[in-house]
Amino acid sequence: MPAPEPNFTPDAAPADAGVTRRSFLRTSAVLTTGLAALAASLKPLLQMNDFPTAERFLQKYYKEMTPDDMAKVIRRIENEVERQYGIRPHVRDLKPMDGVEFVYCLNLTRCIGCRKCVHACVAENNQSRNPEIQYIRVLRLPDGSLDIEKAEHNYAPESVPEKGYFYMPVQCQQCKNPPCVKVCPVHATWQETDGITVIDYDWCIGCRYCEAACPYWARRFNFTKPSIPKERLNPEMSYLGNRPRRQGVMEKCHFCIQRTRAGRYPACLEVCPAGARKFGNILDPNSEVSYILKNKRVFIQLKEEMGTSPRFFYYFDV
Amino acid sequence: MSPGSKTSAVLFGLSTIFVALAAGFLLDFRGQPALLYPIPLVATNFLDTATVRRSYADLVRAGDDLSDFDCYACHERGKPPRLRFDADQHLIVPKEHSDVVMGHGRHGRNNNCFNCHDENNLELLETRDGHQVKFADSPALCGSCHGPTYRDWEAGAHGRISGYWDRDLGEAQRKACVNCHNPHSPRFPSRQPAPGPHLLRPVAAGAASSGTPSNPGSEWVSLVGRDSWRAAVETKLGVLAREDARPTGAVVKLAQYPSR
Ligand code: HEC
Ligand code: HEC
Ligand code: HEC
Ligand code: HEC
Repeated sequence: MPAPEPNFTPDAAPADAGVTRRSFLRTSAVLTTGLAALAASLKPLLQMNDFPTAERFLQKYYKEMTPDDMAKVIRRIENEVERQYGIRPHVRDLKPMDGVEFVYCLNLTRCIGCRKCVHACVAENNQSRNPEIQYIRVLRLPDGSLDIEKAEHNYAPESVPEKGYFYMPVQCQQCKNPPCVKVCPVHATWQETDGITVIDYDWCIGCRYCEAACPYWARRFNFTKPSIPKERLNPEMSYLGNRPRRQGVMEKCHFCIQRTRAGRYPACLEVCPAGARKFGNILDPNSEVSYILKNKRVFIQLKEEMGTSPRFFYYFDV
Repeated sequence: MSPGSKTSAVLFGLSTIFVALAAGFLLDFRGQPALLYPIPLVATNFLDTATVRRSYADLVRAGDDLSDFDCYACHERGKPPRLRFDADQHLIVPKEHSDVVMGHGRHGRNNNCFNCHDENNLELLETRDGHQVKFADSPALCGSCHGPTYRDWEAGAHGRISGYWDRDLGEAQRKACVNCHNPHSPRFPSRQPAPGPHLLRPVAAGAASSGTPSNPGSEWVSLVGRDSWRAAVETKLGVLAREDARPTGAVVKLAQYPSR
């Protein structure tokens, strides 16, 4: 026996009427809100001006690329840079050299805090000018103290050095035991055999864990699309080094990989008027850095108690 | 009003609202992204890799004016210039040599011209132990009195070597002492510093800058306003520091830090 028909009430719409006013209003209100929310959530896409190309999207992990793969990737990057800046860059993928481990030494008795290194680095490594991304921070500390909490990086006197202060430039310390590498969930950053910790900007997902892990505040994040004026673009680039970055990726000092793996000194050293910066191969007993580590007595490895074992040594001429 | 026209009026009203909302989201009525403020490009003189001074050797290489070094255009050979001193035994530098401002050492202890210049041949320098050296080889002169610094310089620890660290791949140029020190007043000159870091947003004049000096990156971090991930990672790091703590060979002895 079929179930009895429900009681028919006059204000309920007949079952076949389709839409009642109330259900229409309800549905359209829900729909409006929903669509508006969708529009809002998609809005960031409007600001995205470099959609990943299929090529970039399908790119292999750096360490798994064959030379052929890399050649293709380099061509893609060269095309992208040329499209964006109108300059054909020279992109290379320089590999670590055998028997080379880089070390940096910085003479705190000589540094005068002029910040030329900061800007030479920006020029060499194609950092964003606005917003400003800089790999080197020069800290000013009162004489006789090494309390980083008392440091000031916004000093702006007429001239440097100032009496009663010394200056300590801080950049990536290229740790032997890098916390940033350990926390990266996608292995987009790793340490190479010459001691340089590199980042694959095409592999980075922008989670910024490494930034938080770094005790030296050495890593910088591209919150917005980097802006570099065409006339200041450095066309001599390397894959793991100074090629232009995208919005949403991490970057940091890489000892000017495009220069140092070609045998040259880094840009910050070349521009230092005081000769406070020393760089070289610690495995070569005749290098400047070997001499310094052998002959100078006082070294500071910044925050060394964290177990990071920096390859960046601060020293004094005593 | 018939039900049909009522429905289309409501439909019309709702579509208007929807279009207005969509436009609102598009034009971003609320939550305008932080406007970037203009940051001037850094002046190119801060990118210049030139040394503080140009030495005699640099002038020769560039083929520039060497008249300052043409001593015998004014002096007579075989007749050493006579040094004159004032009542306090301070050397008087003649006005023809007004570019020579003597101030070698904190107490002007090395102001005698002939500590360095060869009295009998002004076109040469003379080291402390009596060797004659050409102007182009002046580091040997400096080294005769500044032995330890000279040794550091030879090893590349004092001064600057430019070019290639890998000498198999290219040349290296060792800058001379007089590229950085004026031999007559060798104190390293002070200079205007390049502009400091700009914050993401301009700070009102007088207001303290965001980002403590100890954490120059924090103005970026606070922008996002979510520091919980930082805490999470630092917790992880705490473990890391313990696991990986190792005895250290390097020393940090604050007591040993000499003041400037
Ligand atoms: C423009 C001309 C001119 C040139 C070039 C010149 N001198 Fe002189 N110099 C003079 C005059 C004038 C005096 C003062 C009179 C004197 O003592 O003969 C003088 C004085 C000196 C004195 C004595 C300073 C003192 O305190 O009394 C020395 C030392 C000297 N010159 C060295 C040199 C040397 C070294 C050179 C080359 C590198 C040189 N001069 C080039 C014009 C010149
Ligand atoms: C500490 C050593 C030293 C002393 C002391 C010294 N000179 Fe010199 N002087 C040099 C050297 C080194 C050069 C070459 C610098 C270069 O290569 O740029 C030089 C260059 C010069 C020149 C040519 C370049 C110029 O700056 O005009 C003159 C002139 C000169 N000296 C004069 C004098 C006189 C006069 C005195 C004494 C009042 C004096 N010097 C004291 C080391 C010295
Ligand atoms: C004849 C010895 C002698 C020669 C040659 C000599 N110097 Fe000096 N120098 C001194 C003395 C002495 C002092 C003072 C040390 C002090 O005051 O503590 C000094 C101090 C200095 C200082 C420290 C200045 C300061 O104010 O802190 C510098 C830098 C310097 N010399 C550089 C040079 C250079 C570069 C040369 C070569 C062009 C040179 N010296 C050649 C004896 C010499
Ligand atoms: C790249 C530049 C550069 C070169 C090249 C250079 N110096 Fe210096 N020198 C400096 C600076 C910077 C200081 C620190 C000055 C200060 O603290 O105000 C200094 C300090 C000194 C001092 C002062 C003592 C000290 O240790 O603080 C002496 C002496 C000295 N230099 C000698 C020399 C001699 C000798 C040569 C060549 C053999 C030379 N310098 C080459 C940049 C240079």
